[in-house]
Amino acid sequence: MATYLEFIQQNEERDGVRFSWNVWPSSRLEATRMVVPLACLLTPLKERLDLPPVQYEPVLCSRPTCKAVLNPLCQVDYRAKLWACNFCFQRNQFPPAYAGISEVNQPAELMPQFSTIEYIVQHGPQTPLIFLYVVDTCLEEEDLQALKESLQMSLSLLPPDALVGLITFGRMVQVHELSCEGISKSYVFRGTKDLTAKQIQDMLGLSRPAVPMQQGRPLQTPEQPVISSRFLQPVHKIDMNLTDLLGELQRDPWPVTQGKRPLRSTGVALSIAVGLLEGTFPNTGARIMLFTGGPPTQGPGMVVGDELKTPIRSWHDIEKDNARFMKKATKHYETLANLSAANGHCIDIYACALDQTGLLEMKCCANFTGGHMVMGDSFNTSLFKQTFQRVFSKGYNGEFRMAFGANLDVKTSRELKIAGAIGPCISLNAKGPCVSENEFGIGGTSQWKICSLDPSTTLAIYFEVVNQHNAPIPQGGRGAVQFVTQYQHSSTQRRIRVTTIARNWADAQTQLQHIEAAFDQEAAAVLMARLGVYRAESEEGPDVLRWLDRQLIRLCQKFGQYNKDDPNSFRLSESFSLYPQFIFHLRRSPFLQVFNNSPDESSYYRHHFARQDLTQSLIMIQPILYAYSFHGPPEPVLLDSSSILPDRILLMDTFFQIVIYLGETIAQWQKAGYQDMPEYENFKHLLQAPLDDAQEILQTRFPMPRYVHTEHGGSQARFLLSKVNPSQTHNNLYAWGQESGAPILTDDVSLQVFMDHLKKLAVSSA
Amino acid sequence: SPGPPSAPADPAAPPPRALGPPPQGSVGAAPRAEARPSAAPCPEQEECSVSADTVLAPLRAALDSCRATVQKQVCNDIGRRLTVLEDAWAQGKLSAPVRKRMSLLVQELQQQHWDAADEIHRSLMVDHVNEVSQWMVGVKRLIAETRDLPTGE
Repeated sequence: MATYLEFIQQNEERDGVRFSWNVWPSSRLEATRMVVPLACLLTPLKERLDLPPVQYEPVLCSRPTCKAVLNPLCQVDYRAKLWACNFCFQRNQFPPAYAGISEVNQPAELMPQFSTIEYIVQHGPQTPLIFLYVVDTCLEEEDLQALKESLQMSLSLLPPDALVGLITFGRMVQVHELSCEGISKSYVFRGTKDLTAKQIQDMLGLSRPAVPMQQGRPLQTPEQPVISSRFLQPVHKIDMNLTDLLGELQRDPWPVTQGKRPLRSTGVALSIAVGLLEGTFPNTGARIMLFTGGPPTQGPGMVVGDELKTPIRSWHDIEKDNARFMKKATKHYETLANLSAANGHCIDIYACALDQTGLLEMKCCANFTGGHMVMGDSFNTSLFKQTFQRVFSKGYNGEFRMAFGANLDVKTSRELKIAGAIGPCISLNAKGPCVSENEFGIGGTSQWKICSLDPSTTLAIYFEVVNQHNAPIPQGGRGAVQFVTQYQHSSTQRRIRVTTIARNWADAQTQLQHIEAAFDQEAAAVLMARLGVYRAESEEGPDVLRWLDRQLIRLCQKFGQYNKDDPNSFRLSESFSLYPQFIFHLRRSPFLQVFNNSPDESSYYRHHFARQDLTQSLIMIQPILYAYSFHGPPEPVLLDSSSILPDRILLMDTFFQIVIYLGETIAQWQKAGYQDMPEYENFKHLLQAPLDDAQEILQTRFPMPRYVHTEHGGSQARFLLSKVNPSQTHNNLYAWGQESGAPILTDDVSLQVFMDHLKKLAVSSA
Repeated sequence: SPGPPSAPADPAAPPPRALGPPPQGSVGAAPRAEARPSAAPCPEQEECSVSADTVLAPLRAALDSCRATVQKQVCNDIGRRLTVLEDAWAQGKLSAPVRKRMSLLVQELQQQHWDAADEIHRSLMVDHVNEVSQWMVGVKRLIAETRDLPTGE
């Protein structure tokens, strides 16, 4: 057959969807026996350069409990101008505007190539986007200066009619009134006292808008513009004054004595930001951008005290229940995150410090709202500066990539139900016939809200097959899913992206080979990984590893070919052959192995893992390794210690780091200076090639990865050595025999040992 | 021979006697990178001989044309920043790339290529913020206000 690989790739390109299974088992019982759930990765706003949006409203099914959008799977009677909804079978009349349609004159939304289509539905005045800067002033002078310059620079990158606001904080929290008149004023709040949104709004002299509004619609009450203008002004009006205001920002004036941390009131600052936006512009696209250089040390949301001798909590502290402030702080930020998400506003966290800043406690702010999380050592680094610039990046069509206020609604044909979603979203608690009682991730709903997203944001959505065993499937029957994403485009237009897909049902008892052949092992690995990481956030680490192992063994038992109790006979077909390797690397990954990282680092890695598309997610699970040598053109090589050779340069991409590693001989040649001799120019080229390739990644990826340039014996070589499969260790050194590869000092099992164990367990009849 | 990774080699020590030189000639590894277009449209390494006046005079002229319609305070603010630019230029505080790109910006402004001028302002803010942040927002504003002037200007 034209392989499923092509089918899978074409569907991803067109619809932004990857399913774990592309031929679906037709009964609930059989589906659970598949081990890997029926699920998909969805990139709602996948960049489609060839898909011009249509300028009319989508046609909806008239059944109130359905309201599916007209799509290529619907049966159409062109003569009678009727269409049958493929989800609920309701017959619907076409609206009058469709009077002229026929078989040869189809509207775009009926054509198969428009299984994904985008509608522009709002015209006329729109509410502008809002950017509220929340800035920590407890920074070192150099750091603060660099941050100020980045903020000033960003004013040139904002959409000109966007609104901007500024809150600064340290021991106190200052809300700056932005005006074009000479004197700048601010409202000062104590950083120790938490306030409700209403109190904040009262103290700032705002009043709540009377009418709840739909995201992006213009405000109704005439006095709104006057009230909000004091703290949130259009960039094109306020840019010069705000540039000066930013330029004049000083370090927090409260002295920090020896052995103490600065008093940082992040919790109150964020409360005020959320309350301010709620009171002025609910339900419109807004970014609260928190810039912080250290942990919150006072007030609600404090993560550590101000005594330096008390270190900030580590994973060991948390395990031993020795993290005093964690629960309360997490609760504070979760409340804020939920409030902000309910208002359609996202919270970004830009945390630059050598020590932890409390990302563990604050992560919900970014994770619930779709906001960014950027972690760096200092604001005075290219990692922060360039990453921050990319927040405002534009796509190929010159439009901002960022989008706001997305509402994702999923509909399924009746044999399927929705079990949940994992990604940067919150539940909208939309109950209905499509919603399953079993929850995977954020469940109990068929709708989620993503307050901020871009063309790479990807959700994992889990389904449940509910057809009873032995219920007849109609011949050639297909199941269908429709994803409807309403959102606010960066131009402030409202748009709707509709993706409708279908897959064949198959009887697992008689057609297992078809189901097998259509398995997408890459998608399955990422979908299982997201589930594992989601569980790891709430369960104990070892339980998740045991669960992953159990699922893997069951999968091998079901789909492997083998003779009982004969591990050597074990085979996996091509569509499954890479899956165990993904699981092996996932088990070793920083997403599930936390003790090598701080809690903040783990939160950072997990944050990005829960929203990236499939390709990037796979890089995170199983980093890519390229080898450069004189033996041939650059090539990808196994992520294995045997790939580390003296006469090679390796480039490793883990998504979070780009590591260039010079083999021993290469390093010695470089030390000897051969690259500077004209007759050895090709050596110079060899050294340069991985640097050029690294630059391509460094210049485009968000967030910008850490760049590590190291060599054999270098202390930073550990970045590479800890990732590769340790096929050669001090334990099996002499058994190996050959002089190839660099042995790794570890007691971790290698992939070979892992596979041996797996085969033994899979074939065992016990 | 394989062994545990050794301690970092002493940088002053010569390579082991057994190490020969790398292979010569164009064997194998051709660099993968395609030629990357440079950010600025002109080479910035050569000595920049743009005079301050070729940049400041058109900017001040543009500002003058705004005074009739644009708020006085805004004009004064822009004017103040142009003076900061002039002083920085005179004191040799601006690097060659900045001076070169400013002269391009002014050319685009004079030809009413507003978007192009805007792009150059943005690229200067992104690439040289520490040199330009004090006054560039004035230039940005000047472009925006000049663009919005009633036609005929």
